[in-house]
Amino acid sequence: MSDNLIDTSGLSKSYSGSPALRGLNLAVPRGSICGFLGRNGAGKTTTLKLLLGMLRPDAGQIRLFGEAMDSEASLIAARRRIGFVSEDKELYPFMNVGQTIRFTRALFPGWRRDLEEKYMELFRLPLMKAVPKLSKGMRTQLMLLLAMARGAELLMMDEPTSGLDPAMTEDILRALADLATVGQSTIFFSSHQLAEVEQICDRVCIIDQGQAVIDGDLDDLKSQYRRILLTFDGMPPSALASLTGVDHLRQRGRTASLLAHGNVDLLVDQARELGPTSVEVRPVTLKELFLDHVRGE
Amino acid sequence: MNLRIHFSTGVPIYLQLMEQIKHAVETNAIRAGEQLPTIRKIAEELTMNPNTVARAYRELERDGIVEVRHGSGVFVAGQPSSANKTAEIRQAGEVLRSAIERGMALELSEAELRRVFEEELSRWQENVTPPRRQR
Amino acid sequence: MLWFKAWLETRWRFAFLAGSTLLIWLTPLWIPATGVHTSVPAARFWMVIQLASVLLFIFTAIFLAGSGINTQGMYTFTPGFHGSMLFTLSLPISRRRLLFVRAGLGALQTCVLVVIMVVYILHLRPETTSVLQALIYLTRTIVCTMAIYAFSVLLLCVLDETWHVSGAFLFWTIVFLLQSKFDWVARVSPLRGMSLNCYPITAPIPWTPVIASLALTGVFMWIAVVVVQRKEY
Repeated sequence: MSDNLIDTSGLSKSYSGSPALRGLNLAVPRGSICGFLGRNGAGKTTTLKLLLGMLRPDAGQIRLFGEAMDSEASLIAARRRIGFVSEDKELYPFMNVGQTIRFTRALFPGWRRDLEEKYMELFRLPLMKAVPKLSKGMRTQLMLLLAMARGAELLMMDEPTSGLDPAMTEDILRALADLATVGQSTIFFSSHQLAEVEQICDRVCIIDQGQAVIDGDLDDLKSQYRRILLTFDGMPPSALASLTGVDHLRQRGRTASLLAHGNVDLLVDQARELGPTSVEVRPVTLKELFLDHVRGE
Repeated sequence: MNLRIHFSTGVPIYLQLMEQIKHAVETNAIRAGEQLPTIRKIAEELTMNPNTVARAYRELERDGIVEVRHGSGVFVAGQPSSANKTAEIRQAGEVLRSAIERGMALELSEAELRRVFEEELSRWQENVTPPRRQR
Repeated sequence: MLWFKAWLETRWRFAFLAGSTLLIWLTPLWIPATGVHTSVPAARFWMVIQLASVLLFIFTAIFLAGSGINTQGMYTFTPGFHGSMLFTLSLPISRRRLLFVRAGLGALQTCVLVVIMVVYILHLRPETTSVLQALIYLTRTIVCTMAIYAFSVLLLCVLDETWHVSGAFLFWTIVFLLQSKFDWVARVSPLRGMSLNCYPITAPIPWTPVIASLALTGVFMWIAVVVVQRKEY
């Protein structure tokens, strides 16, 4: 029984002929913090826009909170429970912080005054300052406040920590961890900062050329993948590539580097039979997992 | 309990947390019957995902190291003194220290020495597991 | 709060237009004051006023539509949308409501200015006007101006902003040319409905252009809503 807050199947979208998404299957379970990774132009922002109804899919289905998003009414109902932080963190240029908060507050009957005050105090945002005069960090904090104080069950963010200094980044991550713990919110965000994703996410989805190439629990992925380094006397045998469980093979001189997945012990045995002079098995970092899956070969 | 997680090494975080808690129990940093920090506390202190902390606690409970008392918290499982491996750990440390000194005397680099260690460890694991088809 | 936000975005342009409108209208008062002798006969002068008024109504409608409908705070002639559009679109508000609030406020602003101008015209009028006649003139002017306004709203939803003003003026110029050639156009044209040339103040309500304008306003807005609902951002 899955309680996925976000569920897409076969989601496709093209812009004037060139495909941005080709059958994306994505599932974000309740209570998880899911990192959405991909190269620039792989389809991350398109996905977020589709989920929020700013774009309409060419094919495929979207379910939010278990409900099919097939009409404007269903989208509006979903948006009452979602908080969104856009990539450039743009808000209304003619308002100040206080007005922006009042404006947003008026639209959400479930607004949490206590959260609003908590984050106002935590972030120390100046109430009377005009929004365009805020630094990017403060705008991010304001958008986060607006997203969280509305009592959202699901938070969707496009590169929340881009352009922020390490101290502010840590503040934001801490706020997210807190939301997941106390508020039991589900968080789905796209990011280029692998280190942060490894720190805070328990799920990860990697998208490449419009499709999900990895989607699962991050710790499980780390358990299932291994890097195996084999050195040979001569050139590494070509039979290496056809061993079961080899996701990716790279050769440098007399060393072969395998990204292995699944029954790693069996694979190591089979690899040993090919007569390497040394065998080394190492854990795989998210960075390696990412790079090996998006190299676009 | 002094917990430190390395988020970017590729080792699953819940496993790291489990190892550190086990180590704390073995070295008596935290004793049988004592309460472990709440999930919220650990997640807050280390700025990490609470689900991962929860998972570590679940696995530790499954392994019998801790027990979850609903409503009260998570406690170190009461076990007889067999859990205390402080002496053995100290001994192993001494053995390895002399091996490292001798390895360094052979003018191997730290990385090379580490590779040799891991190679030997895998070989040892292989010999210990049930018989398989030999080369 | 949506109305307040729309007001914050458009107040300066509204103030600018109100100010310049008043300035233009007050011009006739200066001429005698500066001692320049006008040999313009009263009837001619009155015709100029009538023509200028129609043009001003049209311009007001177009300008305020542009000010309200185009996105968050960018000036009418700048293409592309402001990033805050993404924030707005992620809110639980239907696109129809978003359009109606923006269009609505601009419409109200237009009406305010139209009322000011109508009052002033009536003030300039040599003969006295009964209240009923004044109300008739005001009502038909507002209704016809709304048709022009609604068309501008539609254009803004369909075209890039840069084409809006020229597109609107072009359209109404064509209507103007057609109405002198084709009778049926003349009968339903909002331009005629607000013109004092065609329907002097003493005339009864010109039902045809008024109803036609109402219908046109409805149609233009309906199409605009459909377009906005299908738009992709």
